[in-house]
Amino acid sequence: MSDADLDLLSESFADLLRAEWPIERAVAFASGDPAAISTNEGLQRSVIELGWPALTIAEEHGGLGLSRAAMARLYLALGAAVAPVPMLDTTLAAALIGDAGTPAQRERWLPLIASGSVRASISQPAMPALRCDGARMSGHARGLLDGGAANLFLLAAERRGRRGWVAIEASAAGVLVVPRRLVDPSRSAAEVVLDEVAVEDDAWILPPDPGRVADHLLRHAAIALAADALGAAESALASVIDYLKTRQQFGKVIGSFQALKHRLADHSTALVGARELLAYVAAMDDEDHHGLLNAISAKAQIARVAADVTRDCIQLFGGIGFTAEHPAHLYLKRAKLDEALFETGAGLLDRVADLLEAA
Amino acid sequence: MANPGSRLLTGLTDDDAFRRGVQAWLANALPTDWRTRLQGATEEDVNRFQLWWLEERRKVGLATPHWPREWGGPGLPFSRQIIAYEEMARADAPELELMLISLFHLPATLFDAGTQEQRDLYLSGVRDGNDVWCQGFSEPGAGSDLASIRTTAARDADHYVVNGQKTWSSYAMYADYCLLLVRTDPHAARKHDGLSLFILDMRSPGVTVRPIRQITGEGEFAEIFLDDVIIPASNRIGAENRGWAIAQSTLSSERGLLLLSYAERVWQGYRKLSQVTRPSWLSDVGLRREFASFHAELLTVRLMIGRLLSMTEESEEGRLATLPVYIKLYWAPLLQRYTEFLVRAGGLVDQEWQPPVACTGHSSGVPALDFLKSFSWTISGGSNEIMRNIVAERFLGLPRA
Repeated sequence: MSDADLDLLSESFADLLRAEWPIERAVAFASGDPAAISTNEGLQRSVIELGWPALTIAEEHGGLGLSRAAMARLYLALGAAVAPVPMLDTTLAAALIGDAGTPAQRERWLPLIASGSVRASISQPAMPALRCDGARMSGHARGLLDGGAANLFLLAAERRGRRGWVAIEASAAGVLVVPRRLVDPSRSAAEVVLDEVAVEDDAWILPPDPGRVADHLLRHAAIALAADALGAAESALASVIDYLKTRQQFGKVIGSFQALKHRLADHSTALVGARELLAYVAAMDDEDHHGLLNAISAKAQIARVAADVTRDCIQLFGGIGFTAEHPAHLYLKRAKLDEALFETGAGLLDRVADLLEAA
Repeated sequence: MANPGSRLLTGLTDDDAFRRGVQAWLANALPTDWRTRLQGATEEDVNRFQLWWLEERRKVGLATPHWPREWGGPGLPFSRQIIAYEEMARADAPELELMLISLFHLPATLFDAGTQEQRDLYLSGVRDGNDVWCQGFSEPGAGSDLASIRTTAARDADHYVVNGQKTWSSYAMYADYCLLLVRTDPHAARKHDGLSLFILDMRSPGVTVRPIRQITGEGEFAEIFLDDVIIPASNRIGAENRGWAIAQSTLSSERGLLLLSYAERVWQGYRKLSQVTRPSWLSDVGLRREFASFHAELLTVRLMIGRLLSMTEESEEGRLATLPVYIKLYWAPLLQRYTEFLVRAGGLVDQEWQPPVACTGHSSGVPALDFLKSFSWTISGGSNEIMRNIVAERFLGLPRA
């Protein structure tokens, strides 16, 4: 896809979100406003109608077959609107099944994910694997993003010494889903408790190279999360710049004060750089030797920058930015969750260092 | 070689062949021990070495790789100019610091605003000779506020009489000529409107140069004292009192090629540390993570420079005005933090004084000196504080104070 095509795609994402999820609605949703909650259900339907969950799924399985660069544009838009659309784990589940699933699993799940009727949640890499050598599985898994809305769980699990994932449907007997609120009100998680849940053979994804598959997911997640965080930071910065052009104190527009200008200039510089980096890592070939290194390195960096920028935006807004009625906190919370998902800085940086030495 | 023309790389008309040609030439022409020989060398030896390398480049047609034909250069397509600079940096070829103004700012200025006679006269001195040019812009009282220049040039018949003082002029003590920005109209309503740009012959009577030692111990800068110096009116570049605009375009003339070299060298150094040198501090978990965190930022700055170069190549107007400012604001503090990190990681060992290695950009391999030298990026060429004002006021639209 050319840059111009990607820009068109971005426009289409932004158009829908502007219409259905203006920032006031995000604020209302965060405060538990029932009207906003029901509008959010409408947003979920629109998103499915427009095929967003199908974006990166192969065409043969009912998807749109678009690139990771296109996916990055989607997450930029979602982050920019702090949209409560459970999307990341569904995207990752599709990536996992597409990459390592059996042909039967691909046939079964991918069209359902593409059509929006299956919403998935997948284990974070830091979570311990469940163990099950027989036909019934017990145990519990935590930190499952979008888990409250999911009807399919892909849990990290081990079977007879082999590492992989197991697909558990939320509706199966013995499955208890306990929703967990997150600090970020635009997303949620769940804990899943399994009590003697029947596990058929075809529920297992046991690739011969689970490390490579996990890295493939990590690379996908890193790009999506970097994009999401960057989108939030760009929105936060744009809104604080507007505010500083009108807010007056001491008889002056406060945006004329150099101490504030310089901070904005630094944030703007950091985000311009982050855009360049994101575009580059999102466009890298699957086969590229440095693909993983660059993706996780970019995630650690961009999420850090986004968390810093959104944090400082609250300070720049002052008292109004500290209130729940103002959107500034939504951007910060979004960025902080993006930073924490799929490993925080330290874990990623250790991996970056490993890859740098190996490369 | 029987026919010196046969060694010209500039005749290669295909990017890949050109790259291979440049690589092969560098592998052959570049002494492997030049850094060792240059470490702690006298300034005269360093200069001699640079002129020798310029001559080597000239033999293969790469003395002025980025000069178009109308400047008397090889007229390479931009992609090959990039390749030439990229490969020279990757092979760790010496940076011709002494010739910076001669190679970049002078031709851009003369082609922007000079007369044909000035171009003919002065460009050949660089293209075919060893003319060193310096820049006389800053003054003790005119740094960030450059337009407040007080050195004056008073018109007298067919010449000007110049009085005043310039400072922070790199290599002025070795320079043959100076691009000199002075005030020709002390009464202009806007101070920017009273400035003119001149070519000053540094051998003119009344010119005194005093070198300034820098915090690195090197003596790159100098002050220039001008005492009733006569400059012929024919040495004025452009119209009288139009010097400010011309000087602005001079300052932005290097189009990323120079920065490409510097960033490429730092990147090479970074990769070498993790793969070849493997200093002992890399086994410290905290320092190793901090080191790893620079990967994304160093990659980013290379990507930003790459974007600028491709926009220049495609003549895209879009962000050509903003991107160079963002690049400087990204690169300069990054370079400073990264080199500071290397000093800190190295501990006491790197506090032991070592002589500088000239011509290495910001990758001399002496961490303390690379760190100290990084201030040349955060302060010169418009200090980062000025750059932040530009971003905030011109790009983000915040009101002036």
